[in-house]
Amino acid sequence: MSSDTVKLSRASAGFGISVAITALFNTVLACVKDAYHPLLVIMNSIAGHNWTTQGLADVILFVGLGLILSRSHAVERIRPDRLIAFLVAAVAVAGVGLFFWYTMF
Amino acid sequence: MNVTSSDILLLAHATFGVLGTVSAVWVFVETLNAQERNARRTRTAAWCVTIFMTAAWIVAGYWYLHFYPAERAIILKGPWPFAHSIFMETKEHLFLMTLILAFYLPVVVREKLHANPAARKMTLCVAMMIVITGLAIEGAGAVIDHGVKVALLRSAAMGAAK
Repeated sequence: MSSDTVKLSRASAGFGISVAITALFNTVLACVKDAYHPLLVIMNSIAGHNWTTQGLADVILFVGLGLILSRSHAVERIRPDRLIAFLVAAVAVAGVGLFFWYTMF
Repeated sequence: MNVTSSDILLLAHATFGVLGTVSAVWVFVETLNAQERNARRTRTAAWCVTIFMTAAWIVAGYWYLHFYPAERAIILKGPWPFAHSIFMETKEHLFLMTLILAFYLPVVVREKLHANPAARKMTLCVAMMIVITGLAIEGAGAVIDHGVKVALLRSAAMGAAK
């Protein structure tokens, strides 16, 4: 009998979704703070520089969302292939989106 | 010889970035050959990625906040202002994604990769994304460095012509 499994653990699935959402959030926040100056001012005041604030926000979102999702049984029902595709697509869209934003902005 | 703290931090952050990227290649190769006996080594490699990328984040962040503004002013006055406006801006935000991927890697390699094709595929994808974004960031660093160089060369040429 094979002991192989095709499922991701709740931690892997939960934190995997969290990575995807954080990557998209990171790009959206980078765009919004450039387009909306008051947000940039607020972010500068929180941690001394908007980039520092953004980095800390990303880490907090990743850890917080990951912990919440990894406690949920719902993430176990997501097919691993779909989760991996979502993660790769999110990182690709977020990365390319950043480059296009700064090329256009 | 005059090596400043700015020079040391600048070179250290690139070195940590390269070590993190190379460690991600190490994770990728170990995962391709996932067996029970290399599971511990794969986890060690994954933690190397996390530690090196975190070190790169801290060192690069300190350098960016304290030393980069002077270089940015030089770049923006030179012939390659896009080295800052496109490449540095993209690089500094793209790195945050690489960092989050590096934080995730030790989570997924806790699975039994040799017995779990889904976890193996996830690990391969995450490691590959760290390598790709890491190489893009290193490339952007070279463009930024060249942006400073061409600005200083033009400045020096104009000074010599006077």
